[in-house]
Amino acid sequence: MSLLSLLIFIPLVAGLIILLLPSIWQQHYKYLALGAIVVQLLLSAYVYLNFDGSVYSGIDTQSKYQLVERLPWIRLDLGSFGALEIDYFLGIDGLSMPFLVLSSLVMLVALISSWEIKDNLKGFFALFLLLDTAVMGVFCALDFFLFYVFYELMLLPLYFLIGMWGGIRREYAAIKFFLYTLFGSVFMLLVIIGLYFSVTDPQTGNHTFNMLHMMNPDNYVQGSIFSALANQELFGIPARLLAFIVLFIAFAIKVPVVPLHTWLPDAHVEAPTPVSIILAGILLKIGGYGILRICFSIFPDAAIESAWWLGLIGVVSIIYGALNALAQKDLKRLIAYSSVSHMGFVMLGIASVTSEGISGAMMQMISHGFLSSMLFFLVGVIYTRVHDRQIPNFRGLALIMPKYTTFVMIAFFASLGLPGFSAFIAEAFSLIGAFNSESINGLLPRWMAVCGSLGMLLGAAYLLWTLQRMFFGKTRLWGGEDWRQKLTDLNGREIFALTSLSVMALLLGIIPSLAFDKMNASVLELIRLVNLR
Amino acid sequence: MDTITQETTCILALVATLMPLLSFAGILLVPGRTDRGAFFSILNISFSLLLSVLVFIKVWDQPVVHQQLEWFTIGNWHFKAGILINNLSALMLLLISLIAALVHIYSLKYMEGDPYLFRYWAYLGLFCFSMFGLVITDSLLLLYMFWELVGFSSYLLIGFWFTRKAAVQANKKAFIMNRLGDLGFLTGIMIIFTQFQTLDISLLFSEGGFVSHATIQNGFWVFSSNKMPDIWLTIAGLAFFFGAAAKSAQFPLHTWLPDAMEGPTSVSSLIHAATMVAAGVFLLGRIYPIFNSEVLLVIAVIGAFTAFMAATIALVQNDIKRILAFSTISQLGFMMLAMGVGAYGSAIFHLITHAFFKCLLFLSAGAVIHEMHHLKEKYKLDIDHQDIRLMGGLRKFMPLTFITMLLAALALIGIPGTSGYLSKDAILIQAFEWSEGQAGFWKVIPYSALITSWLTAFYISRLIFKVFFGRLRLNDICGQTFSLHEAPKIMTYVLVALATFCLFPFFSFNPLHYEHSWIIEGLNVVSNIGRVNIYHTLIPAAVNLFAVLIIYLSFTWYVKRGKSPDLSNSALFRFAENQWYFDKIYQNSFVNGILLLSRSVFAFDKAVVDGFVNLLGRATVLIAGLSQWLDRRVVDGVVNGAGSVTKIIGNFARHFQTGRLQHYLVTMLLIVLSFFIIKYFSQAI
Amino acid sequence: MIPLAHFMFVSAALFCIGIYAVLSKRNAIMILVGIELMLNAAILNLVTFSKHDKFEASGQVFALFAIILAAAAVAVSLAIILNVYKYYRTIDPTKIDNLRN
Repeated sequence: MSLLSLLIFIPLVAGLIILLLPSIWQQHYKYLALGAIVVQLLLSAYVYLNFDGSVYSGIDTQSKYQLVERLPWIRLDLGSFGALEIDYFLGIDGLSMPFLVLSSLVMLVALISSWEIKDNLKGFFALFLLLDTAVMGVFCALDFFLFYVFYELMLLPLYFLIGMWGGIRREYAAIKFFLYTLFGSVFMLLVIIGLYFSVTDPQTGNHTFNMLHMMNPDNYVQGSIFSALANQELFGIPARLLAFIVLFIAFAIKVPVVPLHTWLPDAHVEAPTPVSIILAGILLKIGGYGILRICFSIFPDAAIESAWWLGLIGVVSIIYGALNALAQKDLKRLIAYSSVSHMGFVMLGIASVTSEGISGAMMQMISHGFLSSMLFFLVGVIYTRVHDRQIPNFRGLALIMPKYTTFVMIAFFASLGLPGFSAFIAEAFSLIGAFNSESINGLLPRWMAVCGSLGMLLGAAYLLWTLQRMFFGKTRLWGGEDWRQKLTDLNGREIFALTSLSVMALLLGIIPSLAFDKMNASVLELIRLVNLR
Repeated sequence: MDTITQETTCILALVATLMPLLSFAGILLVPGRTDRGAFFSILNISFSLLLSVLVFIKVWDQPVVHQQLEWFTIGNWHFKAGILINNLSALMLLLISLIAALVHIYSLKYMEGDPYLFRYWAYLGLFCFSMFGLVITDSLLLLYMFWELVGFSSYLLIGFWFTRKAAVQANKKAFIMNRLGDLGFLTGIMIIFTQFQTLDISLLFSEGGFVSHATIQNGFWVFSSNKMPDIWLTIAGLAFFFGAAAKSAQFPLHTWLPDAMEGPTSVSSLIHAATMVAAGVFLLGRIYPIFNSEVLLVIAVIGAFTAFMAATIALVQNDIKRILAFSTISQLGFMMLAMGVGAYGSAIFHLITHAFFKCLLFLSAGAVIHEMHHLKEKYKLDIDHQDIRLMGGLRKFMPLTFITMLLAALALIGIPGTSGYLSKDAILIQAFEWSEGQAGFWKVIPYSALITSWLTAFYISRLIFKVFFGRLRLNDICGQTFSLHEAPKIMTYVLVALATFCLFPFFSFNPLHYEHSWIIEGLNVVSNIGRVNIYHTLIPAAVNLFAVLIIYLSFTWYVKRGKSPDLSNSALFRFAENQWYFDKIYQNSFVNGILLLSRSVFAFDKAVVDGFVNLLGRATVLIAGLSQWLDRRVVDGVVNGAGSVTKIIGNFARHFQTGRLQHYLVTMLLIVLSFFIIKYFSQAI
Repeated sequence: MIPLAHFMFVSAALFCIGIYAVLSKRNAIMILVGIELMLNAAILNLVTFSKHDKFEASGQVFALFAIILAAAAVAVSLAIILNVYKYYRTIDPTKIDNLRN
């Protein structure tokens, strides 16, 4: 059963249908998109429920993946080079499955928030659904070429979504985002080609793009550039380390880590609400996912070698992002910087290469997916009402928008790591893993975890300060009575979206095994692979 | 106890814990009038109280009850969630549910008429749930979770009147300072997990548990196959203590508690006097074996210092709730001191007695504030209704409140016959005993505690005298004669009930000997030095004799003469009045420092990091422009140049083609003629 | 006997008059007349120099041939001029510049 293909291509088909429909029906496009995404959500829920997290650990063995689809895609005979072997190769394991569920839910929420989009609906929804396809594809692809195709495919709709439906400086932001990401992925392409020429399929003997073959050192051609045994050097740096760094930078831009983060605040601030939700909720996760799936699995030796630096980058991101967030006056920018801070925990957890750390990092990605979507959704709520989101322009919103304030408090406290919500489990275990690392594998020094925990303090500081400034006190609005009329409380549609996200965050916080059970075997397998070198 | 009874006990405790959560969820999720929920909450908390009593009866002096379930698995680590009830937690469970129930009943009248009252009941429910969870859980991770949740519910309750600026600043401050402490707690958890690979309290800290098996060898802290430098043992202890210090408002993290008085008084009494702030002490009690002697010394020093500092501040405050808040900090310092000197049982004992009398003090103060507030509303006065300088002579109007508050004050001073006497003297005596075995310098700890207890006698008697004796000073200020009423009946019932718990019989049948208290016996850690020790008679005598003198002194100052020496200009007075300038120092150094840092980091981000990116972008555009110029002018120029040269030549040659035959002919003629002429001349030459 | 030089002078004068007419006249017929004059100057030369060729008189034969050719050329030229006039309503050659540029 080609469940994954369905998951990937249903939105694409819906998008094509929207393109074909006449424009007079444009008020109904969103229902079509909604239908496609609901079907997708149901499918991914089905996948989740039927996912066996204990036996099928995935990582580097095809037989341990679930829902595998493998079709020959491009088989070009290159004469003396052998045959070009590119497969349409999909499959999921514990590392990717949680993201499918996350993506489809976040997509639903983003779609709900696109009710506010008013112009050029045809283009918007078609691009939106194209983006959905690309995102799903990235998480399912196991062939590096296919992965790269989906990875680049994501850029295109995003560029237009930000550049056409964004805020005042949207073109600047869109181009910045596009160039940043392209900068990373262009070099990634070089590494992919290098890997292609280094790896052969053990069955056919052809060079291959199959990621799983790339993870096995036996498949490397003797003396090829990325062969671990050959120890080749490029520009005086070991080739494998260089390739790791290149891939890492490509994904780190997505995560983003300091100092490659500056596209994020601009892109977030200028992007329309649904795109902000997708950016923060899903796209940042692709960075973390890529680091685990590709950087760590294919270049474990280089990963171990650079773990200290990754940890340092994580800690710096945590604290730097939080300090920046503290200085913001624009609510959306504040949340954007808080994303930088929260994703720092992901880096720290991954760098620890302990089961707690990586599980914590995975959990942090999932949790941040839900919470940042919620936060951006909430910003979108006041922005669509009064077209302003400067913190000093609002005061005492709790009095006029009690339901809104309730959800803001839930989102804020959840994302500052209040126990009972997923972020707490995630951050605590990222830190525990980082701390434990010195005892288990000696990769990260203990002070990193302790410094990282400062991020939790600063997180509390900027979020509570915002809460105090915007929501508490006597109501005083910059726009006066006019704003007070416009700032109506949440409607049913918004409450539905926010409730579903907060319930997810709460559920994962109280019963973390919902996520951990599914990914445990994969995490352990990954650690085994990395430690094998 | 067999398994079945263990299970039932656990279920009882669990239900007791979940009842308040039920009221939280029920009140928030079921819509209704804004003052809904009172009855539901009181019903639930009473049920919790009933169950807690049952649990207490089942567990006290019985083997520990411990049940757990698998919670989640990470990698190969299995995290379990469970219930661990020993004497300590059973006692805490009972104490919390009892005080919570009383405060619930008190709030019924105290909070009456507040808009959005349902939120108050819901938040109280959340608080009680987290507090119960905190005391019965068996895992450090869960303990940490509940630890933060009590902080969160305290945040909600301090900021209950969220339109007041001071209240929302106070709750932010409280939460952030507690967060700071929580980082310490978390660090402790990380160290424990790294060393022992479990967070199960009973495995770690029970007798013969992992912690006691870990040893120090050659500068390493070793447990089975794990080892880390032994400094980490000290760091772990300090980290946990840091967490406890934040929650229990110890120096240097104490400044949030006085500000937290912005919440309703009932909340202050429940959370910021009786239960939540004692959680720090409880935590130290739960993980006591982890502390090595250095850490214990630090705890003792900090406890003694905090006690002394807070007492001096309490001497000069004028806000009735702030005085009590500093008194709470001071008393918590006593408990910490007791923990530090190894008087574990006395610390818990003092926690219990203090919970009752401090709660009572707050609730009585609440009654006074309630009536003063009514007065203020009624006559539309512009006064601070919590200022003791405006009160006076209230005993005539509110006799019952007066009597109960007096009892609580006596217990706070530690007059024989009250519960406070038993617990406080236990601490003092054990502190002196402890100092016997220490270097001479550390004698300063018990002596400072002694001085603190005299300061306590002064500030609390000042409060009582100023509020209840003399005559109402408000009359002098406003030039009117006001009269107040006794607090509503329900409130006074609660006061009376609490007052009975300030008396000795509840804790020990012997009013003078703390060793016979069932709590100390139950906690099973009485020091084995007998009463032969001189301290056991000398200290109580000295404390009380001198305390009575001090009370008399304040009586002459504040009642008899009605005038106290004016010290308000002295440096020490101002130092104390400004709370030793801690707030100012923190504000100027940490808060402003971090804000400055964050602004400069943002400027850095914008100017340097983003600037670099933009520079790169602009440089690329510039280079592109340059190359475009080159392309157009040089590369294209050559091609175009060839073309234009041809064109120029063509244009020039074009002029010969006039199309006129005659011109051509003339040209032809001229050429032929010149040809001949040239030929002719060339031949000639 | 008239010396040879006199013939040459007359012929040169005729030729010069012809050239002058060809170069300066703005009327195609006058140019044609000029051309005829130049032709006749040449013929005159031919006839003159035939005196030295007493046996075959090829100069005179050639002159006759040239006269016939000239007559034919004049006929054709006049026809062209007539047609040009019909088309352009002028026979000034400077104004007939359709092929210019």
